[in-house]
Amino acid sequence: MKSRHFSMDALGDAIARLPDDRLTAIRNAAFAHLREHGLPTKRDEDWKYTDLAPLVDIGNQWLDLGDDVTPQADSSDVSDPIQKSIDADWLLISNGQVDANSIAALAQDGVTVELLSKHDSTANFSAPLTDLNSALLRDGLRITVDANHSIKRPIGILVVDIAATAASLSQIRADVIVGANSTLDLIEYHASSGEGEHYANSVINLTLEDNARANWVRIQDRDRAHNQTGRTAVTLGRDSQFHHCAFDFGGRLIRNDLAVDIAEPGSAAVFDGLYLAGEDQHIDNHTRVDHRVGPATSQQEYRGVLTANARCVWNGKAIVHEGADGTDAEQANHNLLLSDKAEIDAKPELEIYTDDVKCSHGTTVGQLDETSLFYLRTRGIDIVGAKQILTTAFAQTIVSKLPVESPRESLAELVSARLSRMLEAVVK
Amino acid sequence: MSTDPDNIDSIVNRRYEHGFVTDIATDTMPPGLDENVVRAISARKKEPEFLLEWRLRAYRQWREMQEPDWAHVHYPPIDFEAISYYAAPKSDDERPKSLEEVDPKLLETYDKLGIPLHERARLAGVAVDAVFDSVSVATTFKERLSEAGVIFCPFSEAVTNHPELVQKYLGSVVPQRDNFYAALNSAVFSEGSFVYIPKGVRCPMELSTYFRINAANTGQFERTLIIADEGSHVSYLEGCTAPMRDENQLHAAVVELVALKDAEIKYSTVQNWYPGDENGVGGIYNFVTKRGDCRGANSKISWTQVETGSAITWKYPSCLLRGDNSVGEFYSVAVANNYQQADTGTKMIHIGRNTSSTIVSKGISAGNAQNAYRGLVRVMPQADGARNHTQCDSLLIGKNCGAHTFPYMEIKNPGARVEHEATTSKISADQLFYCRQRGISEEDAVNMIVNGFCKEVFKELPMEFAVEAQALLNVSLEGAVG
Amino acid sequence: MLEINNLKATIGTTEILRGLSLSVKAGEVHAIMGPNGSGKSTLAQVIAGHADYEVTDGTVTYKGSNLLELEPEERAREGIFLSFQYPVEIAGVNNAYLLKASMNAKRKHQGLEEIDAFEFLKLAKEKMALLGMDPKFLNRGVNEGFSGGEKKRNEILQMAMLEPSLAILDETDSGLDIDALRAVAEGVNSLRTPERAIILVTHYQRLLDYIEPDFVHVLSEGRIVRSGDKSLALQLEEKGYDWVREAATG
Repeated sequence: MKSRHFSMDALGDAIARLPDDRLTAIRNAAFAHLREHGLPTKRDEDWKYTDLAPLVDIGNQWLDLGDDVTPQADSSDVSDPIQKSIDADWLLISNGQVDANSIAALAQDGVTVELLSKHDSTANFSAPLTDLNSALLRDGLRITVDANHSIKRPIGILVVDIAATAASLSQIRADVIVGANSTLDLIEYHASSGEGEHYANSVINLTLEDNARANWVRIQDRDRAHNQTGRTAVTLGRDSQFHHCAFDFGGRLIRNDLAVDIAEPGSAAVFDGLYLAGEDQHIDNHTRVDHRVGPATSQQEYRGVLTANARCVWNGKAIVHEGADGTDAEQANHNLLLSDKAEIDAKPELEIYTDDVKCSHGTTVGQLDETSLFYLRTRGIDIVGAKQILTTAFAQTIVSKLPVESPRESLAELVSARLSRMLEAVVK
Repeated sequence: MSTDPDNIDSIVNRRYEHGFVTDIATDTMPPGLDENVVRAISARKKEPEFLLEWRLRAYRQWREMQEPDWAHVHYPPIDFEAISYYAAPKSDDERPKSLEEVDPKLLETYDKLGIPLHERARLAGVAVDAVFDSVSVATTFKERLSEAGVIFCPFSEAVTNHPELVQKYLGSVVPQRDNFYAALNSAVFSEGSFVYIPKGVRCPMELSTYFRINAANTGQFERTLIIADEGSHVSYLEGCTAPMRDENQLHAAVVELVALKDAEIKYSTVQNWYPGDENGVGGIYNFVTKRGDCRGANSKISWTQVETGSAITWKYPSCLLRGDNSVGEFYSVAVANNYQQADTGTKMIHIGRNTSSTIVSKGISAGNAQNAYRGLVRVMPQADGARNHTQCDSLLIGKNCGAHTFPYMEIKNPGARVEHEATTSKISADQLFYCRQRGISEEDAVNMIVNGFCKEVFKELPMEFAVEAQALLNVSLEGAVG
Repeated sequence: MLEINNLKATIGTTEILRGLSLSVKAGEVHAIMGPNGSGKSTLAQVIAGHADYEVTDGTVTYKGSNLLELEPEERAREGIFLSFQYPVEIAGVNNAYLLKASMNAKRKHQGLEEIDAFEFLKLAKEKMALLGMDPKFLNRGVNEGFSGGEKKRNEILQMAMLEPSLAILDETDSGLDIDALRAVAEGVNSLRTPERAIILVTHYQRLLDYIEPDFVHVLSEGRIVRSGDKSLALQLEEKGYDWVREAATG
C-alpha cells in the first residue's frame, strides 16, 4: 500500500544533509510547515482529479536510498540538441543542480543572473508543493532584468533530469524580476531521460514591475515515465503585460499550476496552453487569476488532444475581487477526445464579487469533424493523414499565439511528431 | 455616464407579501431526534413495517454522516436537536372530505397567499394537493384523475393504498445515504405527494402542490415520488411560499422522479420561501435533493425552476440518463437579493447511448447576495453519442453582490459533444438612463431587462406559472436597483 | 419652448458648460456645431437629465417650467427626446417591447389609453417603411448586434413613434454612409412641424445639406461663441474650427 505522506523523519535527514547556507532558514521553515500541513489529497477540491500518491511514493523510495540529494549525471545528450535548436541564452539546471558555468556564460546587458543562495529568501507558504520545493531546494536561479531595458536575446532555462538510480527527486526554482519598462523573453524547457523513476518539482516566481512585459514559453517534454509538478506564480505591476504559453508533450503524471495576481491596474495577462496526451499520461493544468483591481484583462485559451487512456484535467479559475471594476476575463478550453478510454475533466470557474465586469468562459469537448475528415479522404489522403492534418490545425492555434519567436520551429516539429505517434496508436 | 448610485440602492423595498403566521394549534413533537422519534412518526402515520425499517436504516446512516460544507454558502451551525420533527394540524383526526370541511382559517391563509383553492384550482384545471405543515388537508379533482387511472395523493395515503409501488420505487433514485440531508429526510419525512401515471396515459391536467411551512421550529421534510410508467406523460407544478418569521427554518425535501420507457415528466417549481429581511435576519434554509431517473429508453425529464426565496438554497435537480436516447433538461432562474445565498445547479449523468441534455441557468445577484451555479456533466464510457449544451449566465445588480460558476465536466467517452458557455453581465447605468430617456421608470426598466434576461427559462414554464414567476421576480428585485 | 440661460455644468471637478445661453421656439431647427470637447454632447445630456452632470449655475426653462427639477423619465414624458450618440444595447429586451412601453408611459402621463397592439404594429410598420427598415427589427433585442447605421435609424424610428415636442439629435450623422444619412434625414424632415423644435448636435456640416437648419450656433469651450443662419455652417466648413476659436479668444 502506497503511503500518501512523506516519511517526515527521513525527509528531515535529507534536508539536514544539504549545505548550510542562506537558504537553510527557508528550508527549515518550509519543512516545519509541510510537516504540519502535509500534501494535498484528492479530498482537496484543487486535487480532486489528480492523485499525488505515486509521486509521494517515488519520494519515499528516494529517501529510502538515503542518497545525498539526487545524484549528478551527464545530461549533455539531452540538453545539447535542445540548446542547438532553439536560439536563447541557456541556463542549465540538471538534477536540481544549477550549472554555474551557464550562469557565468550569460552576458547580456541589463540582465543579472545569480544563484538564489546569494541572497536571503523568505519562505512562502502559499502552496504545499512550494513547501516541498523550498524544503529540499539545493539552489535556484535569480534573474533580474534592470529597469528600462529590453533584452536582446531570449533567456532559456533548461531543466534536464537524468534518472540514473531507481528513484530520484529534483527541485527546480527560479525567481525572476523584470524591472519597470523592461521586456523579457524567456523559454523554460523541461526534459528528462533515464530508466529510474523520477519526480521533478518546480517553482517559478515572476514579478513584473510597472509597465514591464514578459513573454514566457514553457515546454515540457519529459520522458513518458517521468513526473513533474510545477507552479508558476506571477505578480503583475501597473500597466504590465504578461503572455504565457505552455506546452505539455511528455511525462506520465504532470500537474501545472499557474497563478497570476493582478494587484495593480492596467495590466493584461494572456495565458495559452496546449497538452497532447497519449498512453498512460495524466496531464493536469490549473490556472488561477486573481483580479484584485481594475481595469485589467485576462484571457486564456487551453487546448488538448487526448488519445489512448490519457486523462487530462483543465481547471481555469478567475476570481474578480470586490472593487476590481473594469475587469475583463475570458477563459476558453477546447478538447479533442480521440479514444474510448481517454478522459477529460474540465472546470472553468468564475467567482465574481463586483458588478463592473465582463467575464465569459467557453468549454468544448468533441471529436474531429466527420465532414472535414471525409472531404480530405475524398482528396486521396488516408485516415491517419487526414486526422493528422485536422488535429495539427487544432493544435496550431496555440502555436500561432507564441509570444517568443525562437522556439516556433522546434515546437511545430514537436507538435507534429507527437501527434503522428499518438494518432498511429489511435488507428491501430 | 451613470445614474446616481445612491439612487440605485433606494427604490422601495416592498416587504415580503406572504408574511403572516396562521394561528392554528398544532400537534407537535418535542424537539430532538433519536430512534424513538423515528418510530413515533411512523406509528402516528400507521405505516407498514417495511417503511419503519427503511426509516430506521436511514436514521442510522444519517448518524454516521457529516454535514456537507463544500457549497459556496455560509450559515451558523444547525442544531438538529433543537428541531421538532413532526407537526400536524389538530384537525388531522377528522380529515375533511370536501373544501367546506376545511378549517376556514386555512382557507383564509390560502386566500392571503393569492391561492383561492376552490376557484383557482377549477379555473386552471389543476388538481391541488395542498400541504399545510406536514399533513395534506385537501385534495380535489380526484375523480377526473382516477378515471384516467392516475394516482395523485398524499404520500401517506399511497403508503396505505399502494404499498407495492412505494416499496418498489421509494429510494430507488435518491438512496437513503445519498447525502446528509437526504438521509435525514428519509428518516423523518412526514408528508409529500405521490404520483403514478399508468402505461400510455397522458395525465389529463397539470398536477400542482403548494407546499408551505408554518409551525415554528419545525423542519419540513417532504418526500415526493413521481412515477411515469411506459409511454405516459405528466406535468407537475410545485409552488411554495412561507410565513414571515425570525428564526431560520430548515427545509430538506427529497423529490424522486422515475420515467420509464417513452415516458415524459415535466417538473416545474416556483420557489418563494421567506428569504429573510433586508438585513439577512431569518429566512428558510432550503437544502433539497431532487433527482430524476430516465430509466427507460426515449424517456425525458425536464426540470424548470424559478427560485426567488429562501435565505440559503442548496439544490441541484439532476437527471440520470440511463435509457438510450433519453433526454434531460434543466432550466433555471435563481434570484438572490439582500443577504440571500444560493448554490444551485444540476447534474446530468449520461449513461445510456445517444442521450442528450440541455442546461440553461440564469443567475441574478443583487444587494449583498451570493449566487453560485454548480453543475456537473458526466459522460460515462459507455454513453456513446452523448450531447450536452450548457448556457450559464449571470446578471449582477450592484457592487456588493457575487456571482460564481463552478461547472464540472467529466467526459469519458470520445463520442461525446459537450459545450459550455458562460457570461456575466450587469444592468448598466447607461441602459437605465437610455430607458428613462424614453420615459420608462427605472423600476420598470430593471424589470424589463431582468425579464428579457430570463425569457429562455420562462418560456419553459406552464402559462399561468410564467406570469406568476415574472411578477414574483419583479417583487424579489425591488430595492435592488433604483 | 426651451430657454437656456447662463448654464454651467460640471462632470466630476471639470467644468464643461461655462455659461451657455440658447433660446429655441416651436417650429425651429437649431444646429449646434463645434469641435470635439466643446460641450455639445454635454448640452444634450444635461437637457435629458443625465445624473453624471451637475448643473452649477443658470436656468433651463421648458414649456414655461423649470426643466432641471424633473427626472429623466418625466422630461421624456413631457416630450423631450434624445437621439443618443451611442445608442445603448439591451440584450433580451425586444425593440417592439421597449417602444410600446415607452409610448404607453407617455400616453399614461397624458391621461390617454394604452395603445392598441394592432394599432401599434401598424404604426410601427408604417414608420419603418418610411425609414427603409426591415420590420424584423421590431423583434430583435434593443440595438443588439445592430450596425452603427441601424442603431441610428432605430433612434429615428423611436422619435417618429414618440412624436416629441423637442428632439435633440446627438451626432446622429456620425458613422452613417450616404444612403443611411439620407434616410435618416428624410425621417427627421418628415417630423418638422410648426409645433416641434429640433436641435441637431453635429461636428460636420454634411448633415445640414439634408436637414436645413434655421439657426446655426458654434460652441467653443462651453459657450456659444457665434450664431447665425445656415451660411455660418458653410463658413465653418471652409475655414475650420480654428477660425471660431480665434474669434472666441480674439
